[in-house]
Amino acid sequence: MASSMGAPRCAAALFSSRGIQNLYAPISSWSGLRPLRKVSYEGLKISKQGNNCRQWRSVSVGTEAESGASVVRKKEEYDFDLFTIGAGSGGVRASRFAANFGARVAICEMPFATIASDDFGGVGGTCVLRGCVPKKLLVYASKFSHDFEESGGFGWSYESEPKHDWGTLISNKNAELRRLTGVYKNTLNNAGVTLIEGRGKIVDPHTVEVGGKLYSAKHILVSVGGRPFVPDIPGKELAINSDIALDLPSRPEKIAIVGGGYIALEFASIFNGLCSDVHVFLRQKKVLRGFDEEIRDFVAEQMALRGVEFHFEESPDAIEKAADGLLTLKTTKEIVNGFSHIMFATGRAPNTKNLGLEENGVKLTKNGAIEVDEYSRTSVESIWAVGDVTNRVNLTPVAIMEGGAFAKSVFGNQPTKPDHRNIPSAVFTQPAIASVGLSEQQAIDQDGDIDVYTTNFRPMKATLSGLPDRIFMKIIVCAATDKVLGVHMCGDDSPEILQGVAIAVKAGLTKADFDATVGIHPTAAEELVTMRSPTRRIRRSDTHAEVDGMVKASAT
Amino acid sequence: MARKMMLDDSVLEGEFDFDLFVIGAGSGGVRSARTAAGFGAKVAICELPFHPISTETIGGVGGTCVIRGCVPKKILVYGSGFSAEFEDSRNFGWDINGPITFDWKRLLENKTKEITRLNGVYKRLLTNSKVTMLEGEARFVEQHKVEVIQPDGAQKYYTAKHILIATGSRASHLNIPGKELAITSDEALSLEELPKRAVILGGGYIAVEFAGIWKGMGVEVDLFYRKDLPLRGFDDEMRAVVAKNLENRGVKLHPNTSLSKMEKMAEGIKVFTDHGDELTADVVLFAIGRKPNSNRLNLGAVGVEVDHIGSVKVDEYSRSTVPNIWAVGDVTNRINLTPVALLEGTCFAKTVFSGQPTKPDYNHVPCAVFCQPPLSVVGLTEQQAIEQAKNDITVFTSTFTPMKNTISARQEKTFMKLIVDSETDKVLGAAMCGPDAPEIMQGIAVALKCGATKAHFDSTVGIHPSAAEEFVTMRTPTRRIAAGTSVKKDYNMS
Repeated sequence: MASSMGAPRCAAALFSSRGIQNLYAPISSWSGLRPLRKVSYEGLKISKQGNNCRQWRSVSVGTEAESGASVVRKKEEYDFDLFTIGAGSGGVRASRFAANFGARVAICEMPFATIASDDFGGVGGTCVLRGCVPKKLLVYASKFSHDFEESGGFGWSYESEPKHDWGTLISNKNAELRRLTGVYKNTLNNAGVTLIEGRGKIVDPHTVEVGGKLYSAKHILVSVGGRPFVPDIPGKELAINSDIALDLPSRPEKIAIVGGGYIALEFASIFNGLCSDVHVFLRQKKVLRGFDEEIRDFVAEQMALRGVEFHFEESPDAIEKAADGLLTLKTTKEIVNGFSHIMFATGRAPNTKNLGLEENGVKLTKNGAIEVDEYSRTSVESIWAVGDVTNRVNLTPVAIMEGGAFAKSVFGNQPTKPDHRNIPSAVFTQPAIASVGLSEQQAIDQDGDIDVYTTNFRPMKATLSGLPDRIFMKIIVCAATDKVLGVHMCGDDSPEILQGVAIAVKAGLTKADFDATVGIHPTAAEELVTMRSPTRRIRRSDTHAEVDGMVKASAT
Repeated sequence: MARKMMLDDSVLEGEFDFDLFVIGAGSGGVRSARTAAGFGAKVAICELPFHPISTETIGGVGGTCVIRGCVPKKILVYGSGFSAEFEDSRNFGWDINGPITFDWKRLLENKTKEITRLNGVYKRLLTNSKVTMLEGEARFVEQHKVEVIQPDGAQKYYTAKHILIATGSRASHLNIPGKELAITSDEALSLEELPKRAVILGGGYIAVEFAGIWKGMGVEVDLFYRKDLPLRGFDDEMRAVVAKNLENRGVKLHPNTSLSKMEKMAEGIKVFTDHGDELTADVVLFAIGRKPNSNRLNLGAVGVEVDHIGSVKVDEYSRSTVPNIWAVGDVTNRINLTPVALLEGTCFAKTVFSGQPTKPDYNHVPCAVFCQPPLSVVGLTEQQAIEQAKNDITVFTSTFTPMKNTISARQEKTFMKLIVDSETDKVLGAAMCGPDAPEIMQGIAVALKCGATKAHFDSTVGIHPSAAEEFVTMRTPTRRIAAGTSVKKDYNMS
C-alpha cells in the first residue's frame, strides 16, 4: 500500500470531493500524460465519462505506485484502478471514496427496476430500492392508522373510518425511489466515477465484462448484495418475496408471511397497520432468533396486541390456489386458506451466481457468500468484496463502513479493518426494536457475571390514548468492570434513541456514565438514565434454571 | 403532636420531630424526601392542596412538573401534533372522508384525569417510602421549626434537624395596564374554551411550546418577543431554525416587540404593542419568565438569604446561608429543569443523610424544548464554545429533509450540529431541531458524559434509516473558528 501520495492530500480527500477537486485543480498540467491505453480486447470503448476519468488518472498516480518514476507506465496497464460490480450502498461508498483518493474508478450496475432479477437492479441497490428506504416509507404509511387510533384520547374525531389508497402510496414511494436513484447517480458522477449500465461478470482477476465489453482494472470490488431466498416447496411460484411486497399492485386483504426474522416482522407490522389481515408462520418458538430473549417475547406480544396473528412452530409444506383464486397455505400443523397473498421472508442469499467468481478462484462459503479477510480481500489478491455478498453483518451502514475501509486500505494508504463490534441495529416493527452490543445470553456466555437492568412501562402517549402500548428497555452491565455490554429497547422511537447510546458504547460507556447523565424530561429515552437498581444479578455460580426463571418473571 | 409542639429550639440533636422537613412536594422535594427516608431518616413533607392552577395556597403533590409543567404540556404537545399527522398521512395514501374535529374539552378532561392519577402515584411513592405527608402552607418560625397552616385554618408546628426548601417557582406577569386580563401557563394548560386567536408574550421555551400547541389545535397565534430571535440562551443557529419552523407552521412572529397595554373589549382583548400596533385576541398568555416561590416562607426570620429575584442562595451542596436549611430545584434558580431538581435532591440526601457529600454536576445537562418540531441540546452552544475555547472550534452541521417529509411533502428540514474542540477532538456540544430530537439527544448526552470525541462519533455505525444516524455521518466541517474569535454570527431567518 505504499504510496507517493502525501498524507495531507489523503486527509483532504477524506473530507470532501470538492476539496480534492480544488486541490488538484491544475489538472491540465498533467495533460502531457499519454492517453489511456486501450486494453487489447476488441470492442472496448471508453464510456462517456472516459475523459473525466482520464483527467483523474493523474491524481491516482501514487495510489498504486511503489515509486514515483514508474508510476505512469504501470498504471496504464489497466483501464481503471478499481472496477466495482454493483452500485448499492457498499459499492457506491467504496467507489466514491476510492475516486476521492485519486483512483480511476468504474462501477457497473444493472438497469433500475423495483424488483430485482438477473437483469435488473438499479443504482442505489437493495437499501435504496428494495430495502431500508421503501420499507421505512411503508412503515411511516402504516403507522398512521395507529396515530389515528391514538388521536381519539387526545380529543380528535372523524366521522368515517380513514381509508387507505395503496396506489397513492406506491406511486409516491416509486417517485421518491426514482429521485434517490438519480441522487446516487449524481453522487457517483460528481465523484468522477464512471458509471456503466449492465451486468458485470469477472473474466479474469483483472477484467470485468459488461454487456459484451471488457474493462481491465487493477482491483475488482464485488458488491452485488443479496436477494430474497425462497424455499423449494410445491406452489412456491405463487408466493411473493419482499421485493414484490414493496411494489404490489394492490394491498393484500389477507396475507400469510412465512418467516420469523426482521423482514417478516416488519412486513407483518406494515400490512397490519394498513389494515390487512396478517398471519405470520414461523418455525421457531419465538420471533427474531439471535435477538435478546426478552425483546423477542416483548415485541411478539406487542404486535399481537395490535392484531398480528402468530403461528409458532409451523413450517410451510405447500401453497395451493383455490378455485376462488385465493391461496391456501399448508403447514406442518394446519391448513389455512383465504390468503390473497403469501409472502416468504425466509432469509436472503448472496448474489454470487454467474459472476465468474469460482471460475477465477474466488472462494465462497457453503452459503454462497464470498469469503473475505479482515480487509475485505477475497482469496484472489486483486478481487475484493463488501456488503451483503460477504454475509458478515448485513446492514447498509456496515456495507458503507466496509466500503469506506476498503477504499482507505487500498487507495488511501491507510490499511483499515472495518470494526464489526458493537454495531447498533434496528428492526422497524411496530413497535420498533433497537439494540447495541450483546444480548443477555451472549453476555452471560462471554462475561459470566452480569447485572441486568430492565424497565417495562407505559409511555405517556398511551396513558391518554388508552392503547395497550408499552416500552421495554434493558441494560446489560459487566459486574466486574461496570462496562455496559448491551442495550436493548422495544417501543416507539427505539432506533432514534439508541443511536446516541451506541456512540457512548464506542466511547467506553459504563453504567455509572448512564447514571451520571441528566434525563431529558419528559421523554421515553430518559428511562435509560434512571434505571437505578438491577432487575437481577447473574453470577457464574448461579444455575441456568434460576436465570431462566428470572427472565420469565421479569417479562410478565 | 401535642408533646412535640412543646419542643423549642433548645432541644438536643435527635429530639426533633423529624430528621428532615421538606417544604414542597414537587420533583426536587419528593426525590429528596424519598431518598433521605431510604437512608433511614425520619422525613415529613408539606404541600399545598391539589389544583391544576396554582396560587399561593394551592399546589399539589407532584409539583409544577407533574401538575402544571412538563407532563400536561407534553400531553398537549401530543394532542396538538395530530393535526400534522392527519395532514402528513394524505400523501401516504390515507383519506378521511368528512371533517376532522378537535374537542379541547375531551383532551382537557383526559389530561386532568391523568394528572390526578399521577398526583396519587406521587402520594403513594411518599407513603411507601414512609414519608409523613402534611397538607398546608409551611413557613419558618425558627431555624429548626416550621408552622403549617392547614387547609382548615388550623396551625401546627413541627421541628426538624434539617429543613429543605423545595417550593419551586411560579409564572410572572408583566406589569402593564390590563395585565389582569392575561393568563400564565398555569391557566393556559386548563382553559375552559380553546381560543380562536391567541397572543403570546415571551420568547422563552414556554412561549414557543404554547405557540406550537395552539397552532396545532387550529388557533391563530401571534408571538411577541423582545429579541431578534426566540429562545435566548440557546445556540443562535438553533434559535433561527426554531423561528423559521414556527413561521413555517403558521405562527405569526413579532420579534423585537413587546406589549404595552391591554383592554377588555366586547370582541376580546385588545392588545397594544410597543410599536403602536393593535390586535384583538381571545387569550393573552404571559410567558415572560418564572419567579422563585420564596416570599411567603418567612425566610428573613431565620436568616436564609435570597437574591434580587428571590431565589434562595445556596452553596454547591444546596445548603442555604443557614447551616441546617437547604434548598433544591427552581426555588434556587440554578438550572430550572425537573431532572436537575431530581439530581439536586438526590445529592442533597446523599450529602446530609448518608455521609457521602455529593455536588450535583451541571456539566452536559441536556434539555429539550417541545416546540414543533422539537429542539434538544446538550453541552455548549457555539457562542459559549467560542467564548470558552482555548483551541479552535470545529462546527459540523447537517440540514436534511426527514424521510417522512419526502412523501408527505411537508416543507420542513431537520437541522443538527456538533461543536468540536479541534485539538482534543472532544465534542463540546450537540444540538438538533427536528422530529424526535429530545429522544435522540438523550443518548448523545450519555455519550458526552463518557467524554466522546468526534472520532467516537465517526467510528459508530449508523442505525439505518433513522434521523439520528446523521450524527455519526457528519464528515465535513461546516466551519472552523479560530481560538479567541469574538465574531457574532448573524443568522438569517430566511
